[in-house]
Order: sequence, then structure tokens, then C-alpha cells
Amino acid sequence: MTERKQIALGVIPKETPFSWRYPGAFAEADHDFDHFRFIAQEAERGLLDLIFCADSVALRDDGMGMENVSHTGTAAYFDGMTIIAALAAVTKHIGIASTASTTYWHPYHLARQLATVDHISKGRAGWNLITSGQTSEALNFGYDAQVDGPIRYARARECLETVFGLWDSWDDDAVVRDTATGRFFDPSRVHRLNHVGEHFKIRGPLNVRRPPQGHPVICQAGGSTEGWNLAAEYADVMFSKATAIGEAQRFYRDIKSRLLQFGRHPDQLKIMLEMRAIVGRTEQEAHEKFRAVQDMVTEREAKDLLKQFLPGVDFTDCVMDEPIPDTPEINAAAQRFRVFVEKDGRRMTLRELTDTGFGSWILIGTAAQIADQLVEWFDSEAADGFMFTPHWLPGGLTDFVDQVVPELQARGVFRTAYEGSTLREIMGFDRPSNRRAAVQDYAAQ
Amino acid sequence: MTKRMTLALLSTSAPYAWRLGDGSSHDRLKLADYVSLIQTAERGMIDIFFLADNCGIREDRMGLEPMRGFSSVVIPDAFTLLSTLVAVTSHIGLVATASTTYNEPYNVARKLGTLDHLSEGRAGWNVVTSSMDAEAQNFGLDRQLDTADRYSRAREFLEVTRALWDSWEDDAVIVDPESRTYFDPTKVHYLNHAGTHFKVRGPLSLPRSPQGHPVICQAGGSEDGWEFAAQTADVMYGKAIALDEAHRFYADVKGRMKKYGRAPDQLKILPGLVTSIGRTEKEACDKYRAVQDCLSEDEGRAMLHHLLPGAPLDDVGLDEIVPEQPEIDAAAKRFRIFLNRDGRRLKLREVVDFISGGIGHLTLIGSPSQVADRMVAWLEQEGCDGFNLMPHVLPSGLDDFVDMVVPELQARGVVSEAYGEGTLRDRLGLARPADARWRIAQGSNLEAMQA
Repeated sequence: MTERKQIALGVIPKETPFSWRYPGAFAEADHDFDHFRFIAQEAERGLLDLIFCADSVALRDDGMGMENVSHTGTAAYFDGMTIIAALAAVTKHIGIASTASTTYWHPYHLARQLATVDHISKGRAGWNLITSGQTSEALNFGYDAQVDGPIRYARARECLETVFGLWDSWDDDAVVRDTATGRFFDPSRVHRLNHVGEHFKIRGPLNVRRPPQGHPVICQAGGSTEGWNLAAEYADVMFSKATAIGEAQRFYRDIKSRLLQFGRHPDQLKIMLEMRAIVGRTEQEAHEKFRAVQDMVTEREAKDLLKQFLPGVDFTDCVMDEPIPDTPEINAAAQRFRVFVEKDGRRMTLRELTDTGFGSWILIGTAAQIADQLVEWFDSEAADGFMFTPHWLPGGLTDFVDQVVPELQARGVFRTAYEGSTLREIMGFDRPSNRRAAVQDYAAQ
Repeated sequence: MTKRMTLALLSTSAPYAWRLGDGSSHDRLKLADYVSLIQTAERGMIDIFFLADNCGIREDRMGLEPMRGFSSVVIPDAFTLLSTLVAVTSHIGLVATASTTYNEPYNVARKLGTLDHLSEGRAGWNVVTSSMDAEAQNFGLDRQLDTADRYSRAREFLEVTRALWDSWEDDAVIVDPESRTYFDPTKVHYLNHAGTHFKVRGPLSLPRSPQGHPVICQAGGSEDGWEFAAQTADVMYGKAIALDEAHRFYADVKGRMKKYGRAPDQLKILPGLVTSIGRTEKEACDKYRAVQDCLSEDEGRAMLHHLLPGAPLDDVGLDEIVPEQPEIDAAAKRFRIFLNRDGRRLKLREVVDFISGGIGHLTLIGSPSQVADRMVAWLEQEGCDGFNLMPHVLPSGLDDFVDMVVPELQARGVVSEAYGEGTLRDRLGLARPADARWRIAQGSNLEAMQA
């Protein structure tokens, strides 16, 4: 009997910008460690593959203005890598992944930080590589405007290559710790990188031995051709967004076919679709929960939020319960920033669009209904797994763990215990062999 | 009232001590080893757990081959590791090194701000300018920048980082569902900093942290470094092996503070202190010798090249007195390695012991009361405000210190019996810096996000 393919599940501990007002919500979840600890341990109780901390390097006010940002609960947040390092000490099995920017960090730092998390967590680290697309971020690092996409991606590619090279600068067996000979490591198994490229010049080696996973799990969420190609060539996990199954399938097929072009097997990359699930004991209860959070959003806030997703567009004429205006300006922005403004062949209202979370797949219903839909999308090759974003914390996550996870287990598509110890083992990825070809043998110098 | 002794623990040991086997098994990449180490430190009422850091292997003038026996080849990213330790401690201060030469202020401000929040006010930053070529070569340079350039960047870096920490006023976060307001935009400020090295708009992406500013530590060995510390640091790591010299250094640095409007007690000076403790002096000496005997002559000489470059010592035998030659003395002065102790010139073996076991820091080998007496004498005679402890071996050297010396220090009333409440600043008696309102009153160009 062949084993049923398993769904990968992750959690993003980020609520909606307004759910902090919800009674009982973690109002300061983005900057209080106790909440992160709870979320990580709750997700581990649900046997999820990973917890993923999204991150940026700015208080993001792009296209929105500070007055408007001040109403959102998602403006202030911790450094992601710092959080996952702290979570390493309070979890045992779950993968811990964070975003880190290739534009505003240097490869040597990235390689060290991730290798350190991977060692300390015994092989559970993941890195969501991003190029940082916000102007507010550029302004904190000496620039007057956003760095161009192609330049960011060229730097990202070289950054990733050198990070791999640094992780591989130690052979797996380089540390011998032999008290008889007094030898701690074998210098012939430690290698210079001697990288000289367009963006970086790095001698190496890294001052951390090779990570337990070889390479921590690489995630990517790019929305451009450069990003898709980077993911297809190097990533283990790709985060995706879609609100309709056809759209998700097209994306899935596109990325998987790109993998073949890079000589990789389609299973070597898992596509994990962003998803919000609001669970109720009845469908009606689920809808009531959803509405209770959503109805806290005013028309003005909805417009301000929309401006963040579709920067540079004028939404003065939008009204909460009327269709989004059908203008070339809005349509062009919607296409560019992958925000879906139509549903069932008609324009959505501003309220409906706000309800979608601007491009997330939203499931509202009983645990069985939600599980059925997840399995349907999974079986139809719309996704290999899902990144669950709780609608509010902590309850949204607890509901999911207590109710949806058992339904998925009953359907045979989700584990009933962690198998394997590293994140790669848990997710079913091979451990990368040392890419020695990329490094120059130290002994040969 | 008895002056309190501030104690920091530098989590490194002699890099060859691992060869001993028993009691020397500390693995620099293993969480469980750090957990037991730091919990021992908390049991001993140590104020600060300090992780040094380099963004490269410490191989200048040595290369990897002579280091094959040194566990110091592995250096975990200090802030990452420290963040992990937040979750397994509740009182001890958490300080890590980060370089101003190879980082960006926004990234460092976020990491430290985050750590200060996570730890509820226990974070600190050892500000270094990174002086190794091996580090420079990992960051696009062929060799390290000049000291003056590094310090110019460091000053601006620290200024920007502090302004970022101040970009949120203390009471900017409101979290008021009634008014639908999460934070007050009139209390969050753009920096609009444009200087020689950095251009940063701000604000920081997180509210002001419990300590306002994490504790700032420095260890500069140069005139530039001392001035920088007198102006900006809360804690200064020093190097001295004789009390009179320590006192001169102490008085010099504290004397420089006045012109910056700072009270002398707002900077804690902590010389490095290598310890080897035994129930008797003989036992302590035997322990020390057992570690030092793990070091071969070749390795000792490689360390001399690394830490005392330019000194022609290759032809000097280990049991010979170090010759009094201008090149040797000049190198020793420049790299702050002491060749004399207790009024006599050292043998080369003693110098090797000295630099290999603790990069030339004060080394106390003895019974608990002998060591405690010396430490208290230094404290009382203004040689220091406390010590940066560097046990010769980890974890056993820390166990010895905590189990044997700390009770002696407590009996002498210089180390407390329990941690009090409050932040690391509170514990060290350091003032909490005022927030943005103070800067604005001083005429800073901070700009409220919303007028």
C-alpha cells in the first residue's frame, strides 16, 4: 500500500491589522514573548511543521501615513531571527523559520545567524529569503528610494550562493574533537570561500561548523519572475497566495515546471498556500466569529489598508458596501500586487475585499468543512500544504489545533506524531550534500 | 556602606582546555551546555552573562593549521545565542558583542530592542569596532580599516542606534479599543538622520524597550576607546594585572567622564579576571597547570604571533627570561601584553601561559579566600567596580567559582544573597535614559510622524 501523501502545515503568528481590538485577543502579541511562546507551543501541540515569523526592517507606512498605521496592531514587531532563536529553547520539534532580508543584511551575518539557530535547535531552522520591497525599509539603510527589483534579485542570488558556500565551508566531519591527538578540527576539511562577485567579496570560512541540516530550510515568497525562478532553483518551500482553486493550480503547475528546468524533482519544493481558517462548531458560529472581527473595521480603515496593498492608488470614491470602482488604475495595481478584486465573475465590494485579507484564501465553517476544502485543494494540486494565519490570537490557533488538525488526521493526510528530528526530516526533504565544488580547498592554497 | 562588586561572566575558556576531558566539555554550539552554564551563573548571583563575538575566525597572523587544537575556531552568532538564553533565565543580564564596522544601525537597534523586550530589560551590547583582518576579509575589505575611521563610524553608529531606541516615546503605545488607537502617532518620531556614515529615516519598528537603552559596554584598548567609553559606555571591560596600574586606569577613565556631564558611578569598570580555584592553593595551581600542559610549545608560539605580533621571540626558550629589547617592549605596549609582574621580568613560558589562558588578563590562582581577598582589595582600593570573569575551564571553572568564591564574596558583603527586582540597569545602579522628549528639548531634529 502506498502511503497517502501528507499535507504540510505552518502557522504565521500574525493577526489581521485590526483583530487586536477583539475581546480576549493578544493585543500586544507582536511585541510580547509570552505570546510567541504560547503560539509556538500550541502549534507544536498541533504537530505543525513550522512556525514562521514574517519580518521587515521598518515601521511600514508605505502609502498609508502614520495616523492610519496607528490604528493597526501589526505596525510594531520584533526582529524575527531573535524570536525564533528564543523559541528554540521552548520547543522541541516544530520548525522555526524567519524572514531575513538579502538586501539589508550581509551574507556572512545571515549564514552565521541561521547556522547558530540550526545548531541550537538541533536542526529546526528555516529562512524565508526576501529582497525587501518597501520604500520605508530602503530609507532606513541609506537609500532615498526602493532599490530596483532586478538589482535586489541579483544581489539575493549572489547572497544565497555565498550563504550556501559559507555553510559548506566546513565538511560535515571537520570537527573531530580527538583528545588523544589533541586535534579539535581537521584544517584540511575547512575551506576558504574566496568569493569575489558583483555584490560581495568574502574570504571565509564561516566560524560556525556546518549546520545539522546541512542547509537550513530555504523559503521564498517572491511575486515576480525573478522570485519564482530563484525559488525553483534553490528553495525548499514556496509561500503562495490564491483565493480560487484554478488560480492556485496554475501557479502550482508553473512553479513545478520551473523546477524541472533547473533539474530538480517537483517534490523537492513544497508550495504552501497562505490560508485563514475560522472554525466554529456550526457554520453559523464560524461566520459570527468572522464578522465579529471584520465588523470592527471602519470604511476609512478599510481604505487605508487597501492603500498599503495597492500603493499609489486613489480610493476616495470607494464605499464600504459598493463594488470597487472598475478603473484602469485600480486594475493595473491589482494585477501588479496580486490582489484579487473579483469574485464569482463580479467586482467585490470594499467590505468583501477587506474580508479577503487582500488575497488570502479564507475558509469559514466547521472543522469538517474546512478539512474537506483543504484536502480538496491538496488533492487537486493547488498546494502541497498551507500556511495558516489565525484570524485572531490566541483563540484562532487553539480552535485550529483542537478541531481542524484531528479532522485532517482522520482523513489520513496529516501526521499523528512527529517523525524525524530536523525540519528537513519532518517535511520530507533530503539533507543537502556539501557543495564542495563551489569552494576552494584550503589545503591546496 | 560596602560597595557592591559587579560580576560579569565571559563565556569562553582556554581554547585547548577541552583536551582535559572531565569538566571541560563545554560545546559552543550546544544549547544544553549553555543552559547549565547560565543557570550556574544565576545561582552565583552573577550580574551579566557575556558572549564575545567575531565575524570571522580569530586566525590573524596564525592561519587555521596552528589552530587545529583550539575550540575557539567556532564562534556562534552571539545575539542569536543570547536570544535563545532569554527563555531559560530570569535574572541575569544578557550582553553580546556586535560590530559597528560590519553592521547597520537599524539591524542592531532592532535586535537589541527585541532582546530587551523579550528579557524584560536584561539586554546589553558590547560595542566593538572589529580589529581583525580575518573579519575585514569577510566583508569586502583586504584589511581592517584604520582605528580612527572605525571609531568615527562607531560614534555615529551608536548615536543613530540610541536615537532609534528613542524614536518611540515611553508611553506611545496606547492599545485603546475605544478610540481604535494602537499607538499615538504624535509620540513616534522620524529620525531623519543623515551623517558621514549613515542615512536613516526611522522610526524603529518596535516600542521603546524596558531599559530605554540596553546597557552599553565597551572594551576599547586604545586612547580612542577610553574616550569613547567615558563618553558613552555604561560598562567598560579593562585589562590590568597590578592594582596600582588598575587604579591609574580607573581614575583616568572616570576622570574623563566629567566633561561629558556624567557621574563617575555611571560607568562600571570591569577588568578581565582569569581564575583557577582549588580548596587549597596547591590544588588550584595543579588545576591551572593541568590545563596549561594541554598546550604544546608550537601552539603557544603560534599564539604569541597572533597576540604579540612583531616581537622577535622565536629564538627565546620557554624557560628563558624575555629579553629587554625595544621591538619586544614596543609590541607588548601596543598589544597590551604584560611582560613584567610583581616587579620582575617574566619567563617566556609565563607569558605564554598568560596570553593563552586569558589573552593576558589578570590571573588569580588560589584558594577561595585568597582569590576573594584579592578581588575585594581591588574593589575597595578603586582598581575596579567588579570583574569580567573568565574561568580557565568551562564548565568546571565556573562551578568552582560559584561554589567556592561567591560564598566568600557574600560573606564579605560585596555580592548580594539574592537578585532584586528590576532591569539590568536597576541592578547595576545605572540611570534609565530619558526618551525622545528630552532629545526634542535639546533641539534634536526628531520629527513626529503625526504633528
